[in-house]
Amino acid sequence: MSGALARRRFLALGGGLALSGGLTACASPLATGLSGAQPDTADVIYWNLFTGGDGANMVLMEDAFRKAHPGLSVEATILGWGNPYYTKLALATASGTPPDVGIAHLSRLPLLAAAGLLEPVEDAGVGELGITADKFTPAAWHKATVGGTVYAVPLDTHPFVLFSHTDLARKAGLLDATGAGLKPMKDGAAFTDALKAMKDAGAQYGAVMSTTADPATCWRYFSMIYSGIAGPVVTDSGTRIAVDDDAAESTFAFMQSLTAGGLMPKSLTGSGVNALFSTGKAGFLFDGEWQIPTYRAVKGFHFNVTPFPALLGPKPVAYADSHSLVIPRSGKRSAARTAHAALFIRSLLDNSATWAHGGHVPAWLSTQRSKAFLDQSPQRNYVQAAFNAVYDPVAWYTGAGSDFQNTVGATVIEVIAGQIKPKAAVAQLRSDLKRYTTARPPVTIG
Amino acid sequence: MTTLASERPAERPARRITLRTASPRAPRSDRRAGLLLSSPFLVIYLLFMIGPLLVGVVVSFFNTTTVKSGLGGWVGLSNYKAVCEDSLFWSAMWHSVLFTLITTPLLVVLALAFAILASRIRHGTVFYRLAFFAPYVVPSSVVALIFLWMYTPQVGLIPKIFDAVGLTPPDFIGTTSGGWTAVVLMTLWWTFGFNFVLYTAAIQDVPPEVYEAAAIDGASPWQQIRFVTVPLLGRTTSLVLILQILASLKVFDQIYLLLGGGPNQSTRPVIEYIYDTGFTSYRGGYGAAATMVYFVIIVAISAVWYVLRQHRTAAAERPAPRPERRTS
Amino acid sequence: MTTLAPVRGRAQAPAATADGGNGAKLFNRLCVVCLTLFALIWLVPFVWALITSLRSDGSITEKPTSPFAGGWSFHAYSYAWDNYPLGYWYLNSLVIATLAVLFTVAFCSMAGFALALLQFPGRNVVMALVVAGLMLPTEALVLPQFVEYRSLHLLGTYWALVLPSVAAPVSVFVFHAFFRGIPTPLIEAARLDGASWWRIYWSVCLPISRPAVATVAILTFISSWNAFLWPLLVLSQTKSQTVPVGLSSLVNPSNIQYAEVMASSVLGFLPLIAVFLVFQRQIVQGVATTGLK
Repeated sequence: MSGALARRRFLALGGGLALSGGLTACASPLATGLSGAQPDTADVIYWNLFTGGDGANMVLMEDAFRKAHPGLSVEATILGWGNPYYTKLALATASGTPPDVGIAHLSRLPLLAAAGLLEPVEDAGVGELGITADKFTPAAWHKATVGGTVYAVPLDTHPFVLFSHTDLARKAGLLDATGAGLKPMKDGAAFTDALKAMKDAGAQYGAVMSTTADPATCWRYFSMIYSGIAGPVVTDSGTRIAVDDDAAESTFAFMQSLTAGGLMPKSLTGSGVNALFSTGKAGFLFDGEWQIPTYRAVKGFHFNVTPFPALLGPKPVAYADSHSLVIPRSGKRSAARTAHAALFIRSLLDNSATWAHGGHVPAWLSTQRSKAFLDQSPQRNYVQAAFNAVYDPVAWYTGAGSDFQNTVGATVIEVIAGQIKPKAAVAQLRSDLKRYTTARPPVTIG
Repeated sequence: MTTLASERPAERPARRITLRTASPRAPRSDRRAGLLLSSPFLVIYLLFMIGPLLVGVVVSFFNTTTVKSGLGGWVGLSNYKAVCEDSLFWSAMWHSVLFTLITTPLLVVLALAFAILASRIRHGTVFYRLAFFAPYVVPSSVVALIFLWMYTPQVGLIPKIFDAVGLTPPDFIGTTSGGWTAVVLMTLWWTFGFNFVLYTAAIQDVPPEVYEAAAIDGASPWQQIRFVTVPLLGRTTSLVLILQILASLKVFDQIYLLLGGGPNQSTRPVIEYIYDTGFTSYRGGYGAAATMVYFVIIVAISAVWYVLRQHRTAAAERPAPRPERRTS
Repeated sequence: MTTLAPVRGRAQAPAATADGGNGAKLFNRLCVVCLTLFALIWLVPFVWALITSLRSDGSITEKPTSPFAGGWSFHAYSYAWDNYPLGYWYLNSLVIATLAVLFTVAFCSMAGFALALLQFPGRNVVMALVVAGLMLPTEALVLPQFVEYRSLHLLGTYWALVLPSVAAPVSVFVFHAFFRGIPTPLIEAARLDGASWWRIYWSVCLPISRPAVATVAILTFISSWNAFLWPLLVLSQTKSQTVPVGLSSLVNPSNIQYAEVMASSVLGFLPLIAVFLVFQRQIVQGVATTGLK
């Protein structure tokens, strides 16, 4: 083929392309791409990170909004969970083209807020829609506040909870008089006895949890036990290590007391956990309540979910996080768009009984106390966990899916596997934390 | 083919020189036109090519927040100190180097071998070129989607092939060694065509008389390849090698898309480290310092190669006079 | 066309001259077998993606390696088209690549012309800068680039993707090399006729530099279309993304909608393969000439 012919073909192709471009030139993403204005492809642009069951529930809630507000359109985008989502949210906001509403874990809120990426929700007029502090689980609302300003509207609390195999628990004599819950356990020793009873009732393990390549679960487990006897592991916005060595050592020792005696496996993958617990080979499962839909899908399998009892400290503690709704900052967002965003947030709260099907405890008290939620079992059994919630410590590096959780969780994995003595593990924990506390924070929190 | 010939700058050197020497001082219109014509490119080049480099140098001395306007506080050299002391930076650096060490020999040797094979074939060269080079024009995310599907345990094509020949397929996504295998195979498929094309073009430039002479001397095909083609491709190999090394050290797409740098950051390349610190943690100043350290390493490698090549070319151009001088 | 024949002849030379011996014949035949085998292996991923995209997810999971089980349909394509804003992604990629090509060809040919044919103060400095630019690993500089574009308020716009492509010095080199090869009498004649340098550039040099324009245009188009990291950082809104970045959001090991994902991949690679098939000679030569510089 000669150069001339090639060029003619290229020009023809280019002409065709230009024509097709011209036909759709009125589509607004094109115009905003050229001018840099915020795209206006829907009345509410909403970003979240939910797939699977949560994703399906979220779609139902979006549809409920569309039904209630027929004049308003919603464009929902699902992004990759964890760092990819948060990176994208931050970059979009920095680029001046953020969504109108986004989901954020409250544990990730301090960095987002301190970097100036979020609009204070009260400025967006959510107060006028009745979204005020007194209508939410206090722990969640408190966590939504950074430096005295509220930057997020909590949607739920999702605690780390205790799953129990109902038939095994009955055989082990652990059920209470009603048969619906577990007999109260007053401390770690009673808890250990319960695991033994499960094992004696015919289970291969008293309890299981996912450890292999699952640092996040291990961090939640550690954080829950440790928080019963000590404060956050880092303070001063994450610049100071505040580990209580004795508390950490006894936490690690407690974990090893369960695995060393064979009550729990020293290592297990997520699918292994699934197989053991759903077939009655494990009495308890330690995991987030978001696993409820997974086990509910197993036919003929009966289980219950309760908050963890107090293990090392005097009072029960629940490690938890919350999904919340945020309004990313944009200088170009019109007042009307902001008002739509607030309406959308209110609508999601009102429909959060749907959200609770995924296992989450609604943070919006009127839903939490509604029949639609209270009819949901086992969800209603661990509402108290939302009030005892302990979140990740406030720092620029903590939160759901963060490297921090992975690093510290990796040490916990070693402890559970018995590869490291509790005392040495404390030293390792300190050196894990040192990487973060000595790094210069990109923002000042608070 | 017209491009190949006419774009060679050395084709008409004599004429160029006469034009230049004819006018020792260029006329005013020349100067004005030269400046005007080169200025649009020059402005964009300085702003958007040299600009980021300068911005990077400046930012690396500040505690800049990537997503916030303003430079932040002056921190001197402490970002550099922190980068150099961070074991994660150096392990990320090592992952980039490891990737380079694995892929470069494969990509260069295979490309050379196939280009030589292709040069001995009369028909269907277009077909080979299409087959080998087509992947190179496909976006990395599409390649990642296709390979991720082919790597899928139980149902993917590659585990099935392993099963068929009685081998246990590695866990391509969940383990470090499996992850490297996955990334290397995918890279091989994706970028092999580039080197293949470079070698093919270089082989076409070998004058046929050389082969004729070799054939008259009774050289077998293998001897022709071994003693004629390969040595003549020395310069091309040096070029392919440096292009490949530089490209491999910049690896990001494949590892980020396929593995996300995992499992547990055990395959994270240095660009993803910069991405994680600079964009995920907003540590702009720190990320810029990491960028600069990495940048200096890359530029140093290119500079060493350039000097070596100049040295070798200089040596090759006057091989005869040297021994004479030594004997005299 | 004129130079095509001799080059081809040269390529065939070794085979032709080696035809004498039986061993050589056998050797060449071995080459064909070996090369064809590998070329076919190289096509497998494309074919496999295409086949998968035409099947149903159920039959894929049941009989992954029997492509003929369960019947074929275009369902996955309509699903992909309805569920992902592929149309927007195509449009964005197209606009960005077209703008990049237009500006790159215009600005770089002007600069290449000036550097090749004109004497002007600072010419050597510009030349040195451009040579140095060839060595800059620009992909490594995304972070400072982001900071700079943020302060210039260019983030979130197409220009953020067009400008770095225009600033790439390799295109200037292609034009520089080409213009240097233009016969001097042609230009001198035009000068004597009183043509301005702009006229010489526009009506004398540019019309005969089709091969260089084609090379730069095609390579710019492909590299702009395929860019990943920088567009990932710069264009964040779902409908403002380019095809590669948009499709990257489907990369997820736990996604079991194999047919739908492969249909999207096919839609992702088809336009490029089409462009490649039409321009394969120019593309391959462009790569060879720019790479070998």
